[in-house]
Amino acid sequence: MNNSFLRISIWVYLAIFFAYLLGPLVIMSITAFNSSGFPRMSPWECLTFQWFGELFQDQRILNGIKNSLIIGAGTVVLSVAMGLAGALMLTQIWPRLRATYYTVIIAPILIPGVVLGISTLVFWDRINRMLGLGADSFLSNGIFLTVIGQSTFIASYCMLVLVARLQRYDMALTEAALDLGATHAQAFRKILLPFMRPAIASAAVLAFLASFENYNTTTFTFGEYPTLTIELAQKVRYGITPAISALAFIIVALTVFFALLNEAKLKRQELVAAARKNATVEELAGKIKLPSFFSGNMAAVLLVVFAVATITVVGTATAYNPGQCIADVKEQKRLEADQRIQELRKQREEQRKKREAEEAEQGDAQSAPKPSNNSGFGNVFAPNSLGDEETSEPETPPASNDGFGGAFDPNALQKDQ
Amino acid sequence: MPHFLKEFFNRNGTGMGLGILGLVLFWTIGLIILPQLSMLDFSFRPNLPPPEIGGPKDVYTLENYKYLVFGPEGGSQDYNTVDLRVFFRTLLAAVCVTIFNLILCYPIAYYLGQSKGSHIRIFAIMLIIPYWINEILRAFALRIIFGETGVLNTLFVGLGIWDMPFDFIRNDIALYAGLGYAYILLMIFPMYNVIESLDKNQIEAARDLGAPWWRIHWRVVIPYAKPGISSGCTMVFMLSAGALAAPQILGGPSSLWFTQLIYQQFNDNNDWPQGAAYAIVLLVTCILFVLAMMRLFKVNMGDIGK
Amino acid sequence: MSAGVGVDLENLWIRFGDFVAVRDANVNINGGDFFSFLGPSGCGKTTILRAVSGFLDPSEGKVLIGGNDMRGIGPNKRPTALIFQNLALFPLMKVWENITFSMEINGASSAERRKRADELLDMIALPDQGDKLPNELSGGQRQRVAIARALCAEPDVLLLDEPLSALDLKLRQHMRTELREIQKRVGITFIYITHDQGEALTMSDNIAVMRAGVIDQIADGKTIYNDPATAFAASFVGENNVFRGRIKKIMGNEALLSTNRTGDLVARISSVNQGTMREGDEAMMFVRPEAFAIAPDGAAGDHFVTARVNHEEFEGNVFNIFTEGDGGKEIKVSLPNLGQSFENHTGQNITLEYETRNAVLVPAGELAAE
Repeated sequence: MNNSFLRISIWVYLAIFFAYLLGPLVIMSITAFNSSGFPRMSPWECLTFQWFGELFQDQRILNGIKNSLIIGAGTVVLSVAMGLAGALMLTQIWPRLRATYYTVIIAPILIPGVVLGISTLVFWDRINRMLGLGADSFLSNGIFLTVIGQSTFIASYCMLVLVARLQRYDMALTEAALDLGATHAQAFRKILLPFMRPAIASAAVLAFLASFENYNTTTFTFGEYPTLTIELAQKVRYGITPAISALAFIIVALTVFFALLNEAKLKRQELVAAARKNATVEELAGKIKLPSFFSGNMAAVLLVVFAVATITVVGTATAYNPGQCIADVKEQKRLEADQRIQELRKQREEQRKKREAEEAEQGDAQSAPKPSNNSGFGNVFAPNSLGDEETSEPETPPASNDGFGGAFDPNALQKDQ
Repeated sequence: MPHFLKEFFNRNGTGMGLGILGLVLFWTIGLIILPQLSMLDFSFRPNLPPPEIGGPKDVYTLENYKYLVFGPEGGSQDYNTVDLRVFFRTLLAAVCVTIFNLILCYPIAYYLGQSKGSHIRIFAIMLIIPYWINEILRAFALRIIFGETGVLNTLFVGLGIWDMPFDFIRNDIALYAGLGYAYILLMIFPMYNVIESLDKNQIEAARDLGAPWWRIHWRVVIPYAKPGISSGCTMVFMLSAGALAAPQILGGPSSLWFTQLIYQQFNDNNDWPQGAAYAIVLLVTCILFVLAMMRLFKVNMGDIGK
Repeated sequence: MSAGVGVDLENLWIRFGDFVAVRDANVNINGGDFFSFLGPSGCGKTTILRAVSGFLDPSEGKVLIGGNDMRGIGPNKRPTALIFQNLALFPLMKVWENITFSMEINGASSAERRKRADELLDMIALPDQGDKLPNELSGGQRQRVAIARALCAEPDVLLLDEPLSALDLKLRQHMRTELREIQKRVGITFIYITHDQGEALTMSDNIAVMRAGVIDQIADGKTIYNDPATAFAASFVGENNVFRGRIKKIMGNEALLSTNRTGDLVARISSVNQGTMREGDEAMMFVRPEAFAIAPDGAAGDHFVTARVNHEEFEGNVFNIFTEGDGGKEIKVSLPNLGQSFENHTGQNITLEYETRNAVLVPAGELAAE
C-alpha cells in the first residue's frame, strides 16, 4: 500500500520533471508548423512548412551558420588539443603543484562566460597594441578571438572528459611500445591515441556543441563574424517569428537523431563484444556470426522509426500545399472582422438613432437643433469621430489586447506569405 | 633543469614533451591567467580614447569601482542605488535559482543513481538532449510558453482559471524558470555520479534499523552526496549569476541582470574599463560567496568538477 | 650458452629524492644465463630492471649490456625487451598485431608480419589465435603472447618483471617449466624479477637475493639454499629455523654457538663468512625443518635440541611438528612420510637431532618478514 503510493508518486514526479524538461522543446517544435505569424500552438491555424523556407532564405542565419561552423571547427581542434595536453600533464605533474594546477585549469568552468569574453577581448587588444598592429589585424579578428575565448573554458570540459579515460590508461602500455623500439611520437600515435579515441570523440562533440551554443563569451568577441547563436539572440530579442521555431525543430531533430544513432552504436558494440567473448576459436578464426543490427537493440529500432518519420514529413512537405487552408483561414478572419465591423456599425447606428431621438427631445425643449460639440458628452459621441474610426477599422484591427497578439491581423498574414 | 622537468621529458620524449608543455602553458598562462590579470589591470584605468592609452593620463585609479558604489561624480544620490540594487538582486536570484534546482533535481538524481535497468539510459538521453539545444533556443521556447499569449496563458484563460493573462515575464517567473531550466543537467550530473557510487546496502541497513525515508536521506544519502551537491550548486550558482542570454530574452523590461549592465558598459557605453571593473566585482563576489558556502558546509575545492 | 650478451651493473646507485632504492649494486650476468633477482616487494629489484631497460637513469654507476655503457640510450634503442608485470598487451590490437608491433615500427609489411606472427604463435603453442583480442584470451595465453611479442623484437636480453604473479598456482608452476624451455631454445639472456623463491630456484642459473636496495648474495640456487651468506638470505629462501646466540668457540670451519634457551649448539660457518667471524660475535644458526630427526629420549650434546611440542599437523608427504622455540619463534620439524607409524607428541618434550653440515652459521642480521 505504502510502497505502491511511493511508486506512483515517483512516476508522477518523473512525469512532471520531464514535462518541464522536454515540454518547451516539443511545444517550440510544434509552433514551427503553425501558419500563425507569431510562434504559438493555439489556436491552430494551418499546417505549414513555409517557416522552413523562410529560414533558408535568411542570409543572416545562413551566414551565422557558416561562422559557427568555422569557429566550432577551430574550437574543437584547439580545445581538444589543450584538453589532452592538460589531462596528460595532470596525470604526471609534480605532486606539490597538482592541486594548484588543477584549480587553474578547472577555474574557467566556473568563471562566468561574460568575464571570459571580456578578459579575452581586453587581453588580446592589449597584445595587439603592444605589437603595434592595427584594428584589422589577425589578433583582433572576430573568429580568432571567439575561438580563443571559447577554448579557454571548453578545453576544461574536454580535459575532464579526457582525464576520466586517461586514468584508466596503463602507462606500462606506452613503456611497452617504447621498449619494443617505438619513438615517443610513435607510442603516442599508435598506442595512446587509439586508446583515447572514444574520449577524444566525446570531447570533440562536446566542444563543438558548447562552441555552437555559446553566447555569453561570444557576444563580446565575435566582431564582424556573428555566429548563429548571436544572430538568433538578436532575432529573439527584437521580435520573434516561427522561423526560429523551424530552426529549433531542425536542431532538436538532429540532436535526437544523433543521440539515438550513438546509443544504437554503443548497444551494438556491447552486443558484438559479448558475441566475441562467447565465440569459440573456430568461429573467431573464420567469421563470427554477428547478431543482426536490430536484435535486442531498442535504440536502433527507434532510430529507424525516427528516420521513416522524417522521410514521411519531408515527403509531405514537398507535396503538401497549405495555400487553400491559409486562404480559408484568411477568409474566415476577414469574415470575422467584417462581422465585427458590421456589429460595430449596427451598434453605432443604434446609438446614433437613440441619440438623435434624445437630441430631438432635447432640441424641442432647449431649441438648439444644431448638433454641436459643446454638449455634455464632449467629442466622444460626435458622429464625425465615429466615422473616422469606422473607416480606419480594416487597417488597424482590434489591438492586440485580445489575448491573441497581432496574429489576427490579416495584413500580417499577407506579409508572411 | 629541475628534476621533475627532466623526468617529464624522459617520460614523454623531447618532442612530445615540448608539445604538451607548450599547449598547457599557452592554455593556463596565455588563456586563463594573463587575460584575467589583464582585465584586473584594465579595471583600474580610466576610459581613454586609443591614442591616449599609455600616455600621461593613463594612470591607475579607483574611479571605476567608486562608480559602482557611489554613482557618477556629483550625482544626485549618495549611492549608485540602481546598479547596486541590480547587483544584489542578481546574487539573490542566483541563490534562489540554485536552491530551486537543487530541490527539483535531488529526487531525480537519487532515483537515477539508485535504480537499475535500461530505462535509466533512456532517461539519461532525455536529460542530455535539452542540454544540446542552443541556450538561446531554450530561452525562446520558454518565451513561447510564458508569453502573454503563450501556451500557459491560453490554457489557463481558456479553462477559465484566470480571467486575465498573467504576465510571467514582468514578474520574472519566466526568467527564473528559464535559468533553472538551463542548468538542470549541471545540477543532476554531479549528484548522480556520487549517489550512483553509494552502496545500496547502507540504505537497506538504515531502513532495516527502522529509519523513516526522510531520515535516511538526511543522515545517509545527503552526507554521502555532499561533494556532488556542492559541485552542482557551485556550477548552477556561478552560471546563473553569470548568465546573459536568459535575462536578455526572458527578463522583464524593468529587471536587469548584472551581466546586462556589464554588457551595456561594453557595447552601448563603450566604457571598457568600467565594464571590466564590473566583471571583476561579479567574479570576485561570486568566488568569495562560493568559498564561504564551501567553508560553511565543509566541502573541499578538490571535489568540484568531479 | 656463452654466445649470449651479458649484462653488468657496476657500482649502481639509484635514488628517488632522499630515498635510496638501489645501493651500490655490482652484478655480472653471463650471456645466455637465466638470472633472477629475488627479494620481497619494495626491495628495489624492479628498479634495477627499469634501469637495465632504460626507463630510469642510474644516479651513479653504470649499466653495461654486451660491454657497452647504456647511459643516455633510451629504452627504444636498447637491445632489451621487457615483459611487464601486468603484461601490458595493447588492448585494442589483435594478438598478431601485438606480437609484431616491433616489426610495424620498423615498417615491415603486413604480410611479413602475419607470417612471423604465425611462426611465433606456433612456438608458444597458440596456433590460429592471432585474430583474437588480448582480453579474449586466458591468463596463461596472454602470458605467452607477451613473451612472443618480446621475442619478436629479437632482443639480446629479455627482462621479465614478475610475469607469473597474476596466474593461479597450477598455471604458475606450468609456466615455470615453459619459460625455462623457451629460454633454452632461444638462447638469449633472461633477467627475471620475482619475490617467489620457488620460481627463482627452479628456473635460474644464478640468483641475486635483494633486501632493501642491497644485494645480499649472488649464487646459483643450490648454494643460496644450502649455504646462505646472510641471515636474510637464509630466512627468505625456503623455510628455516633460527637460533640466536653468541659464538663461543671457533673450530676451523665450524663454531659453537651459545644460545639462551637451547644451550650450546654446533654449526658450520657459511662459506662466505669463513675467516671473518670472531669468537664473541652475535650470530644466527639456521636449520631447515627437514634437516631435523627425532632422537632417542635423553640424548644430549651440541647437536641436540630438546623442546616441548605445541602442535602437530599432517600434510600428506610430511608430518610437521611445531615445538617451542628460541626467542618466541616456533621450531618447525618436517619428517617425510615413509609409511612409518607416527605417535602424537603434543604436550610432551622431544629431542631433535641434526647433522652439523645442515646447520649454517651467519652473522646476526635482519630476518625476512613472514
